[in-house]
Amino acid sequence: MNLFASKDDLIRWLDSLLQERIVVAPVRVEEQTMFQPISKVEEIAFDFDNTTLSPKGWFLPPTETLFSVQRDDGQVELVPTLVEQDAVLFGLHPCDARGIALMDKPFLQEPSDALYRERRSRTALVGLACRQVQPECFCTSMGSAPDDPSNVDILLTEVEDGYVVQAVTEKGKTLLPQGLAEYEGKVPTPPKPQAVPTKEVVSAMRELFNDPYWEQLGDRCLHCNICAYVCPTCYCFDMRDYADRGKVERVRSWESCQSPGFSLTAGGYDPRTTKGERLRQRFYHKLLYFPEQFQDVACVGCGRCVRECPVNIDIREVISDLQQVREAKSGS
Amino acid sequence: MDPESPFIPYLATLKTATQLTPDIKLLSVELEDPDIKAGFDYKPGQFALLSAFGEGEAPFGIVSLPQQRDGLEFAVRRIGTVTRALQELEPGDTLGVRGPFGNYFPLEDYGGKNIIIIGGGIGMAPLRPVINRILERRDDYEELVIINGARTPQDLVFQPEFPTWMEAPRTRLELTVDKGDEQWKGRVALVPDVVKELAPSPDNAIAIICGPPIMIRFTLAGLRDLGFKDDQIVTTLEAKMKCGLGKCARCNIGEKYVCQDGPVFTLEQISQFLEQP
Amino acid sequence: MDMELIQQIRDKARSLLEEGTVEGVIGYERASDGVTARPFFAYKPSATERLIFDETCAHNLVKYLLNKKGKKMAVVVKPCDSRAINLLLNEEQIERDKVFIIGVGCPGMVETNWNHKSETLQAKCRSCQLFKPVVYDFLAGGELERQAEEETYSDIAKAEAESLATRREFWLEQFSRCIRCYACRQVCPGCYCPVCFAERLEPLWVGIRIAPEENEMWQTIRSFHLAGRCIGCNECERVCPVDIPLSLLNRKLEKDVKELFAFQAGLDPEEQPPFATFKKEEKLEFGE
Repeated sequence: MNLFASKDDLIRWLDSLLQERIVVAPVRVEEQTMFQPISKVEEIAFDFDNTTLSPKGWFLPPTETLFSVQRDDGQVELVPTLVEQDAVLFGLHPCDARGIALMDKPFLQEPSDALYRERRSRTALVGLACRQVQPECFCTSMGSAPDDPSNVDILLTEVEDGYVVQAVTEKGKTLLPQGLAEYEGKVPTPPKPQAVPTKEVVSAMRELFNDPYWEQLGDRCLHCNICAYVCPTCYCFDMRDYADRGKVERVRSWESCQSPGFSLTAGGYDPRTTKGERLRQRFYHKLLYFPEQFQDVACVGCGRCVRECPVNIDIREVISDLQQVREAKSGS
Repeated sequence: MDPESPFIPYLATLKTATQLTPDIKLLSVELEDPDIKAGFDYKPGQFALLSAFGEGEAPFGIVSLPQQRDGLEFAVRRIGTVTRALQELEPGDTLGVRGPFGNYFPLEDYGGKNIIIIGGGIGMAPLRPVINRILERRDDYEELVIINGARTPQDLVFQPEFPTWMEAPRTRLELTVDKGDEQWKGRVALVPDVVKELAPSPDNAIAIICGPPIMIRFTLAGLRDLGFKDDQIVTTLEAKMKCGLGKCARCNIGEKYVCQDGPVFTLEQISQFLEQP
Repeated sequence: MDMELIQQIRDKARSLLEEGTVEGVIGYERASDGVTARPFFAYKPSATERLIFDETCAHNLVKYLLNKKGKKMAVVVKPCDSRAINLLLNEEQIERDKVFIIGVGCPGMVETNWNHKSETLQAKCRSCQLFKPVVYDFLAGGELERQAEEETYSDIAKAEAESLATRREFWLEQFSRCIRCYACRQVCPGCYCPVCFAERLEPLWVGIRIAPEENEMWQTIRSFHLAGRCIGCNECERVCPVDIPLSLLNRKLEKDVKELFAFQAGLDPEEQPPFATFKKEEKLEFGE
């Protein structure tokens, strides 16, 4: 059963949530929109295409302390960071919600990552269906849709005067305020993103590992970390101790397979030395290794990498190129 | 590791640190919690992530024999910031241990076979528990040949154990160095050349090799020339491992996670990898 | 698009490849959005049909020469890009006889985002005084008649007028958004250290933490490493995903070096940059 919330209802509800929990929502920062914890409901940007960075940073922050090391009279104690508060992640689009569901696979697989697990269980997801799609969106080719409720606790769809409210899970139901009226109108048809043919991509990947395609594509790659950092499903990280400011902490930070030195061992051995090999790793992880391990391609079609890559390495183009290259090979 | 929070290391105390070579120390480490110590089951080939608090963590093969609960042993070569910090620890200092991780050498499968162990430098470390396990159950195995090479005589690893290895029945210890010194009376040759010289037979044999990439490359070629099949050659892969849990994807070689699917692989398995190490 | 200009580039690229003078040509082609441009590497004569040149070709392609050391390559350069060639020649990172420079007289680049091309010229183009590359082997399009729209460094003069406290607050806020993607470093022709200081663990200049203080260290140290070397292509700012106005910082240092040492990087392949030279007649102030 769908409910209806006016903009005022929504604001009142968010206000009440803010009293007891952290609310992470899209906020306008200069010309961009970013997910950030808010202190006032007025900070929320309700009208945005998509954020520059995905909301994965709430569950896997760019930097976090895993534990600190306390020394007392020669006795060492490890003090893990604890998740102290409940939270609501508000306003994420279905593609991003699917991104979180995909990240659950490695992080919640036993032995599960304690910090990720705690935040995940203590954070409710309130999704916002998309009213329009961008030319770079292709979520329907990647297992999602502009109105997909699968991975959120509550899904909001904007209509005239307010929002259709769909409680998807029990957690969502209990989170909603009392007194919302039933919605009897039509739910608007979602917009249609572009389709990218993906049927043969996983098998094409297996065959084309040593194809010169990768070195050619790698020619223009800058090997920065933009694609991995804006992506909702990239999750490689680095860990190191910091012993400064009077504390010793084990810190975990984002890293990406594109950085030089990612796979370099202390002894100097590096299995990936060419640009094409490094670029190839990201596509293979997302389009072959992850699906072989977890049965789902690690891409949600949000289009952020397409938008942000300074040299236009376009995953949609890569996916369709690979299938063409494979076809050409088998034809010849 | 703590299943609640697998990134938190177990606390351990350094018992002894023995200098094996100018840059390699053998650390003997005791887990502080008696329950964890009792439950720390591992097999030759597995590794642990040691924390030098204040620097970070690094992976090391566990080189002691599994029943040695009193001291987990690790051979640490000083090569970076974490290894240097570990070498600077004094007995009584606290360090962190996460593990055991990875797969292990399936020694039961090698019963009744001739075993050729080929190690170069610090590569001898993961091979040491294999040798000692074989010597422990000597009758389960046939001939044992150990080829141990290093840059110079001082760099030969596990010198205190050479007498035991040499005196074991049906066992040969062949030492070699790239460059000798005035006292050195032994062989001066590269490991692959020693393999060629000794020409072990591939019949009913398993070769286990570990060492610098260049040594492995030429030794492999030599073994293949002698007729060894890829499923008779076993190695342990080096990779930049960080989490040990198959999560950070640092140690991916193709679709394999060295920390979970390895680090022990046969050549046959490696040749099937999409991405070659 | 100026088809005549483009044809000149294509023809030159084609003949270079056909004659075997170069192994590859680094130029521009249309991006997947059909609107903007992206770098393109042509290795076969037929591939040169894909080369284009228009006001969306902002990328500085000179950096790619560093990945092709030892190979003779041709590269398409705008006037600002050509300064990077002189910089790398001066610092002995590339050899003059290993690069064939296809220079282009530049009409100015517009601001672009993916799938979007504006009518506004980029800030660096509005005050650009160079209408023809400073070094080239072949000039496509000829020298253009164009007047700079703005005073050079006008945006910097405005920022300089603010108080130190305001400026510091401004930059700390900008740096707090940095996610250390290092795109600024990767795109910069002046950043080519085999191991960047940010990757070093000993000494630990920055480390792995992505946080405001570490970001500040990263940005300020990189700027100082570019002082006297930055050629003002502003690529760092264009590629930054979180819109940090990096060119303000780097061009401010360019302005200071110009005022202090009467030197600008990349105009002359022979002239040594001030921080790499010592002249006895320079007054040092202390101990003199």
